[in-house]
Amino acid sequence: MEVKLVEVKGVSKTFNGVVRALDEVSIAIRQNEIVGVVGENGAGKSTLMKILVGVFPPDKGEWYYRGRKIPFPQNPKEATKRGISIVYQEKGVIPCLKVYQFLLLGNEDSYVKISGLHLDKMKKHAREILEEFHVKCDVENFMYELPLSTQKMVEIARAILSVRLEHEDNNITSVIILDEPTAPLTIEERRELFSDILNMKKNASFIFVSHIIPEVMEFTDRVYVLRDGKLVAHYDLSKEKITEEDLFRAIVGRESSEYIYKPEIKRVVSEDVVLTAKNLTKNGCYYDISFDLYKGECIGIFGPAGSGKSEIINTIAGLISFEEGVLIVKGQEVKTKELPHVRLARGIGYFSGETGKELFLNWTITKNISIVNIEKILRKFVPVISFNAEKQMAEKIVQRMRIRTPGINTDCYSLSGGSKQKVSIGKWLERSPDILLLEDPTIGIDVGARKDIYETTSEMKKSGISMILVSDDPKEYSILCDKIMFIKDGRIQKVLSPEQFKKVMAT
Amino acid sequence: MKIPGRKKLIPPVIIQTLKTHPVIIVLITLFMMFSSLYPERFLTPLNFSTILKQFVTLTLFALGPSIVVVTGSLDLSYVGIWMLGGILVWLLMPILGMFSILVIPLLGLATGFLIGVIQVKAKIPSFILTLSLLVTYSGLTATLSGGYPRPVRGYEFITARLIRYLPTAFLWSIPIIIAAVFIIKRTRIGTYLYAIGSNEEGARLAGINVDKYKILAFTLSGLFTGIGSIILFQHLGGATPVELNLNNLVWPLVAIVLGGTPLIGGSGGPQRTILGALTFTVFYRGLLLSLLHPQAIQLLVGLLLIVSIVVGTRGLKGVTIT
Repeated sequence: MEVKLVEVKGVSKTFNGVVRALDEVSIAIRQNEIVGVVGENGAGKSTLMKILVGVFPPDKGEWYYRGRKIPFPQNPKEATKRGISIVYQEKGVIPCLKVYQFLLLGNEDSYVKISGLHLDKMKKHAREILEEFHVKCDVENFMYELPLSTQKMVEIARAILSVRLEHEDNNITSVIILDEPTAPLTIEERRELFSDILNMKKNASFIFVSHIIPEVMEFTDRVYVLRDGKLVAHYDLSKEKITEEDLFRAIVGRESSEYIYKPEIKRVVSEDVVLTAKNLTKNGCYYDISFDLYKGECIGIFGPAGSGKSEIINTIAGLISFEEGVLIVKGQEVKTKELPHVRLARGIGYFSGETGKELFLNWTITKNISIVNIEKILRKFVPVISFNAEKQMAEKIVQRMRIRTPGINTDCYSLSGGSKQKVSIGKWLERSPDILLLEDPTIGIDVGARKDIYETTSEMKKSGISMILVSDDPKEYSILCDKIMFIKDGRIQKVLSPEQFKKVMAT
Repeated sequence: MKIPGRKKLIPPVIIQTLKTHPVIIVLITLFMMFSSLYPERFLTPLNFSTILKQFVTLTLFALGPSIVVVTGSLDLSYVGIWMLGGILVWLLMPILGMFSILVIPLLGLATGFLIGVIQVKAKIPSFILTLSLLVTYSGLTATLSGGYPRPVRGYEFITARLIRYLPTAFLWSIPIIIAAVFIIKRTRIGTYLYAIGSNEEGARLAGINVDKYKILAFTLSGLFTGIGSIILFQHLGGATPVELNLNNLVWPLVAIVLGGTPLIGGSGGPQRTILGALTFTVFYRGLLLSLLHPQAIQLLVGLLLIVSIVVGTRGLKGVTIT
């Protein structure tokens, strides 16, 4: 058995005295291994990582370093002293710096001479480090000139370097946390990044935080599964034989008792096609996507994160363009590059559950609802907003969506997460577009609010609105969809009915 | 603890107004301070008339840009439009006669549209773009004029006195102010501009043609500045200066920010700029009458701008900025 480099035991963390983010979680990292930490959004992954790098103190727990008990780090600097450093998902890179400047940023002290910095020495040192870690790039390049995967590698090298410099020891093994490192990368770039990381394994141990199952299966030695703040499973992939489905079920949990709402949707789907996609392709994201969306139908696009599902829905919304293929909306072919307002004019609305993406937080509920419905509240003869009509519309939606608020003139930032979501979707309820795109419609909100949102969407469906759903939550698909497309690596694998889908998920 | 009787002392409407427009408190305080310190100088019809004159100048300059600030951008071209417009009037007078004054709003419209298109297409910060344009216009003014201010006669009727002590320019500015406030508060354009300033991504997702409305904001700003400059042209002496005066640039900005339109956008607007302009004018006139050294006043104006920017951006406790 190799040495346990870092081990934490019984870590618990509560926020605001109510939300239990972590409950008695214990994990260990040994020398030269890659450990996966997986879980849904809100499972406690990032809280655990923030405790490991000293951003939050835990409520309770023990920390062992090579078997010795020591206190938790109070800040990221102390975490570096304990051999831990983190590479964040985004915004870690400073694009306008040269590679060697970025690599040694914050450690210039060792290169100071009277006439400024010893640049040659810095470059030489940087070159050595990059060579050691097999990062193929020139130190004179600017960071932004590098491909994204190489940028990530430089960041990882930098993290290892910071631990070494802190200890003044080149042979120390550091533990590097990779927080969803592949999120901004395309499929090809991911491959490259992983082969590079595997090369680095002899220099460091890695904690790989992700919710992309295939990646975790392929590249990690052991996997910890978190759900609702608890450690629910721990697999040693080199010894146990487990499948992607096993891991998937561990992540989402077997029981679906969480969902009280059992919809009775009569699946009335008419014969009119409202949207047709033929061989839609965007290289690096998705390939040959074809489907027909009927009036009143809901299609789910299901797949692991990074499979291209969210790119597909964003393409239909007009947020990104496609490269090849044909997209026909209500009989009219659309251009490859078309902004969301043109798509809305064609009858496509887009709803995303991501907080603050759609909502105008410093606005009142009234304004947030009327923003897509201005045509309805203009006076008849002069195009002037009627505040009365606006007020009535907002009151109607607040009542119908059961939004808990002191009044319609409350600013949206003071609402709860669920209410915010309801305001966002309420405006589409009033507008009733022909097609509504739903991306993670219930992300991060409580069961009650979910139920209300499911009810609203089913109602909208009944009234003849077609929908496309993309979500991280498989249960949502069986509740809302008439047809579910499986996407993997940007391609449609199979198309299932909700019953088949449930069966696949259950086995 | 709430005392039921106290509620009636100050009607809720007033409390609400003061909460959303905290600058009113500043205005009243300044007014009372100056009137009690030196009533014989401050509380005179002549002083009020001067305050109104200066208020008009400030408002007409600041009205257009405050529409742009709502979207989270900045338009500094107003002084340039006024200066270049004045010289163009002089140049075109022999050809167009009295109609040459109309060149100012046309120039404003074209300038605003141009800035909007460049800003949207090139995606550069509006601050630096409009500042460069301002310098270009002031250079162009100096070149065209040959370096001297060129007075134009024939437009005296614009500011001919109708009522004693009441500047006619003030009467002219009323419909312009109403139009600006109306557009921003009661039409779809206004709502969309606020949306862009508040959350551009959200505005795009709500199906707003963000680029189009940004161009529209700059165009409106240019147009309002242009129309205002017709009055300002005569109001400020029937000629425009050929050298850029920093006060002309900075004071309207102070009026906008002091009025409660944060430069990050999403709230405020022309209706607040009016209050800001009035408060600033009272502040400035009060200081001028206090026999302080002019340089010291300049210093205080600078400090006021800093304070109002900080307060406007961070917000005050208990003050909602919407």
